[in-house]
Amino acid sequence: MKIRTVALNTFKEAIRDRVLYLLLFFSAVCIILARLLSILTVGDRIKIIKDVGLASISLFGALMAILMGTGLVFKEIDKKTIYTLLSKPIHRFQFLLGKFFGLVLTLLIMIALMSVIFLALLFFHTFHIEWRILLPICFVFMELCLITSVALLFSCFSTPILSSLFSLSFYIIGHLSWGLETLIKKIPSINMRAVFKALYTFLPDLENFNFKTEIVHNLPIPPDIYLYSVLYGIAYTGFVLVLAMLVFRRRDFI
Amino acid sequence: MNAALKIESLHKSFKTGFIPKKKTILKGISLSVNAGEIFGYLGPNGAGKTTTIKCILGLIFPDEGFIEVLGYPFLSLKAKEKLGFLPENPYFYDYLSASEFLDFYARLFGIKRTERQTKTRNLLRLVGLEKAAHIPLRKFSRGMLQRIGFSQALINDPDIVLLDEPLSGLDPIGRKEIRDIIVRLKEEGKTVFLSSHILQDIEMICDRVAILVEGEIINQGKITELISEKILFTEIIVSGIKPDDLAVLGGNVSTQGDRTLLKIHDEDRVESIFKLIQSSGGKIHSLIPRTQTLEDIFVGMVKKT
Amino acid sequence: MKRYVLITFLLVSCITFMGLKLRLDNISREKVPGSSIIYIPSVKYLKYATLGYTSIAADLIYLWAIQYYSDTEIKDRYDHLEHILSIIFEMDPYYLDPYEIGAVIAVYEAEDVGAALRILDKGIENNPDQWLFPFEAGHYAQRNLNDYKTAQRYYKQAMNIDGAPAQARRLFANAAFEIFDYETALKTWFEIYQTATDERTRKIASNHLYRVRAAIDIRAIKEALAKYRDRYGHYPLKIDQLVPNGYLQAVPSDMDGKKYIYEPKTGEVKPPTIPWKR
Repeated sequence: MKIRTVALNTFKEAIRDRVLYLLLFFSAVCIILARLLSILTVGDRIKIIKDVGLASISLFGALMAILMGTGLVFKEIDKKTIYTLLSKPIHRFQFLLGKFFGLVLTLLIMIALMSVIFLALLFFHTFHIEWRILLPICFVFMELCLITSVALLFSCFSTPILSSLFSLSFYIIGHLSWGLETLIKKIPSINMRAVFKALYTFLPDLENFNFKTEIVHNLPIPPDIYLYSVLYGIAYTGFVLVLAMLVFRRRDFI
Repeated sequence: MNAALKIESLHKSFKTGFIPKKKTILKGISLSVNAGEIFGYLGPNGAGKTTTIKCILGLIFPDEGFIEVLGYPFLSLKAKEKLGFLPENPYFYDYLSASEFLDFYARLFGIKRTERQTKTRNLLRLVGLEKAAHIPLRKFSRGMLQRIGFSQALINDPDIVLLDEPLSGLDPIGRKEIRDIIVRLKEEGKTVFLSSHILQDIEMICDRVAILVEGEIINQGKITELISEKILFTEIIVSGIKPDDLAVLGGNVSTQGDRTLLKIHDEDRVESIFKLIQSSGGKIHSLIPRTQTLEDIFVGMVKKT
Repeated sequence: MKRYVLITFLLVSCITFMGLKLRLDNISREKVPGSSIIYIPSVKYLKYATLGYTSIAADLIYLWAIQYYSDTEIKDRYDHLEHILSIIFEMDPYYLDPYEIGAVIAVYEAEDVGAALRILDKGIENNPDQWLFPFEAGHYAQRNLNDYKTAQRYYKQAMNIDGAPAQARRLFANAAFEIFDYETALKTWFEIYQTATDERTRKIASNHLYRVRAAIDIRAIKEALAKYRDRYGHYPLKIDQLVPNGYLQAVPSDMDGKKYIYEPKTGEVKPPTIPWKR
């Protein structure tokens, strides 16, 4: 109940933040830009629209998650609103979870809006609503939840600029995981390979949430991937949130 | 009688700087606040008043020591259920309106919807902000923020209210209003713990005080016990007597216009001087015996350390 | 929440996601042919996009390309080989490896020697001081296409570059020989012979000179024989017979002074010694 209170409050704060609408505006622009780009191509126009549209939703969603997430806790500490809040009967972890779910709710709405614009554009072109395209968007949302939790974690102890850099690094590392896998094959020593394999397994693999290519090219997706991806997302997000709770527990607010 | 707030042997130090250097803020504080009284926590800036309050609230974790609020361990949620807090220079969520703001905190106490609405309305009326109920907090002035801060501290009808420098930055009217609210809280049976460095206000409303200097409590107790009733000196304002004559009377003399201010240290001589002035045909405008104030004690004690 | 509760949660979630990750890796996902390069951007714009980091962009694209071309699952990966390489060349024209390796991939994997030569041409154009590119191009032309004319052209380029191995010149001379340009061959082998710094090179040069010389002589003899045959309807019994009629100036001997072997029935003329066995 208390988590819900903080979550709704965070949602109110985010919804009233102008930065959010700026990003939404730009994402809409990009999605519509897809229409223009498709004119330049020879061949399948729809594919370009789908690709650009999905990429925009993914990119701007990530930007929203990072930009808003890194301010979540930092702003409360910096502006000292956290003093009054923690003087009330609320656990620190309830505060964190409330912040997290508030932002997740905001992102859900934003993604939904972007999807509507995207689907409308596609309908405009194909006179057909392809519901399948919502699948990669759902997984993009899952990815955004994970990124939000990471941004929240960094927000607990770092300034927004540094937190944004760290979160962005997390995002980039997450998408380059396959590169590490390739590198590991070339390491001669077995022991070193084991060490790096452990590191590789620990580092996030955000490609597990990436189904854009498959949907655009109508490739088959093995069904158990859905379940495992979702579980992976939940487990990793849980891990990061618990880490944030640990960091935040005994923090002195000077 | 149960202590509303009990602190024993509170120690807190911080490591600051790039090369961590240990700085001790609180060096073993012990104090006790009785239920239903107004307790003043005095000290110069940087003495550790705010740190103490943050320790009580669980915003800072003490190195060692024992704190109990309303009989509960200080970190427990039960303690916070009946506690209200107003921070120094309050800053609140500026994207919320006044009523949304109070509603948010009310929810954290689990207060039901209808009750929330009533409470919010009443509190806004109490602090004189009912017209500003729907204005976002970012448009509030300093005084208005202080008042809405008060209302959030009282939203849960607390048994003890902690106020950190509640009168700082207010104009005289604001100060009076806040003082009145605090006194009214005492009348309702609440305990008030307030920290300040404005001694005149403390003197006016507090029952007991503790004086904190550089992390140590150098004195605590009832104000009446700390301040003796001894008259230090008497100030008389007269007119119609020539300054030369006045000089004969002794004491310090300063003149402004046709009025002269006499400062007489010796209590015994006051009466004779009084008669002398009357016989000389002078007019006495005021006669004020000055007793020892809290400020005097305070300055004296600070100077000693 | 108690500390140990949180730490337990932490470990459990960590192990869970690591386990899930390993499980997910095992699920193979279909790759679209050429999916890694859905769009190959125009080179001109890519340069702007890299914001001045063109050199490292070239490195990264090259690294990616190596992995891409090693991936046997992508069936049509050679379709855009030249385009991808041209991007790397445009980014950093002085990065030498891509030219060389690109040519190797073209020849041995894509089996397109023409592409390899085009790649190496680019290398020559951007790096005229590198003898390796024309040298390799010559090899490919000679070995894979049997095109000695092209090879000769490349070897000529190579041998004129500072630092080129002496071999380049020899290959040039040999190529000239193969396209029957005996004059150039002779001249070049003579130069090699004269400028040889070690015995082995001198020997090689000498043998080649012998061969070229023999080829020139045999060509002259065969021309004369042909004229004789036109006239008389049959080959002469001896080569000497060609002299009086003026078909041949004189009976040539090989470089060692020996006579050429002549088979009157077939009109075959052969050198008396195998050049390498001298």
